[in-house]
Amino acid sequence: MKDSDIRHRFKPDNGFLKIAAIMTMGWTFPGTSAAADAHTIAATVCIACHGDDGNSVIPTFPKIAGLQEGYIVKQLRDFRSGARTSEVMSPVAAALKPEDIAPLAAYYSSRKMKPGEAVDREAAGFGKMVYLDGNEESGVPACIGCHQAQGVGYLIYPRIGGQHAPYVAHQMKDFASGDRSNDFGRFMRAIARRMTEEEIQSVAEYLVGLDER
Amino acid sequence: MNRFLNPLIVVALWPSVALAQTPVWNQVGEQAKNALQIKGDAARGAAAFVPCQGCHRKDASGRTSGAYPRLSGQHATVLIKQISDFQSGRRINQKMEPFIGEHVLNAFEIADIASYLQGLPISATNGKGPGSGVSRGNELYKKDCVECHGSWGEGNAEKFYPMVAAQHYRYLLRQAQLIRDGDRRNSNPDMVKAIKPYRDSDLEAVADYMSQLAPPDKK
Repeated sequence: MKDSDIRHRFKPDNGFLKIAAIMTMGWTFPGTSAAADAHTIAATVCIACHGDDGNSVIPTFPKIAGLQEGYIVKQLRDFRSGARTSEVMSPVAAALKPEDIAPLAAYYSSRKMKPGEAVDREAAGFGKMVYLDGNEESGVPACIGCHQAQGVGYLIYPRIGGQHAPYVAHQMKDFASGDRSNDFGRFMRAIARRMTEEEIQSVAEYLVGLDER
Repeated sequence: MNRFLNPLIVVALWPSVALAQTPVWNQVGEQAKNALQIKGDAARGAAAFVPCQGCHRKDASGRTSGAYPRLSGQHATVLIKQISDFQSGRRINQKMEPFIGEHVLNAFEIADIASYLQGLPISATNGKGPGSGVSRGNELYKKDCVECHGSWGEGNAEKFYPMVAAQHYRYLLRQAQLIRDGDRRNSNPDMVKAIKPYRDSDLEAVADYMSQLAPPDKK
């Protein structure tokens, strides 16, 4: 594939210009002769929001480094099909070619998610309790059941250890409202609806500093 | 002609319709019937059990608080029947409902999970009763429970009688209350009849006794 092709695919139509304009980091279209493969797309397109190596700096954009490969594939496909929607991500995913998806997923899955540090330690402490035990009264299952110790994830259940708190909280609210509905078995929608605002914020805060041991 | 035939059909089908509306407690639904015929695969069951771990724990030991029962070591037939009953609405649990529907588990996965759980070791560190009810509980158990649930609380796989030994006290007590009060719709009517006259203190005593029973030897 020629470099001009890749530029064409991500050229600013379909509202993409608007999105490019609102992104605080901004990025320019690739003007070099780099090969138009997953690494080029990662280094020229994804990097703008998801940062170098898939560890985004802006906490409303998710870290995608170290996510389960199958999970990344599913999300990209869902963005393309409309099963998951995002003003920012939907047009980007739409510009991908189907054959880009697997190598992109493999690339980001092989990176390491770098944890941050919880700001509110008290909230993180409460969040840890919810993560490990859930809430027996309201029927919130413990997050650890699917997302595993240290939030490393398992198969279809994504890594969440080390993820940005605002992104996690936002997703949980979208699950609760049904704005995000591409969860397996409707599990996350059911769980998010049972969680209090405090539980959601606290778990999100706990996840920030969670690292693989 | 149809006009005359229809009432006849209704009359002819009446007994079977009536039967279908009042299933006997251990009459298994389609899903369970299928699952019971499938040879479950424990390795696949371990993967299918992952979403259940959030409540029932990784080792399926449940919660000592009794909020969620221990499932490890339980008879596969019992597990299949109960899951199927939850799916058909014959047994209702709102907390579990979103995680166990037919959109989540098919007959193969039910058989796999049941096979996996049946083979897991039973923890003896279950939530136990206060101990004060053991002797009275022993008396009641010998009188009303032993025939079905066995001398060691081991239950009976063929007859869908659950193992009750070393189950969490609070869970045993809650289920016994639901069964006595007619609120667990998939109960064995013989059991409902047997514990109908039980006072709460009787249920506490017998639950106390069962929670103190050591995990039965696995065959």
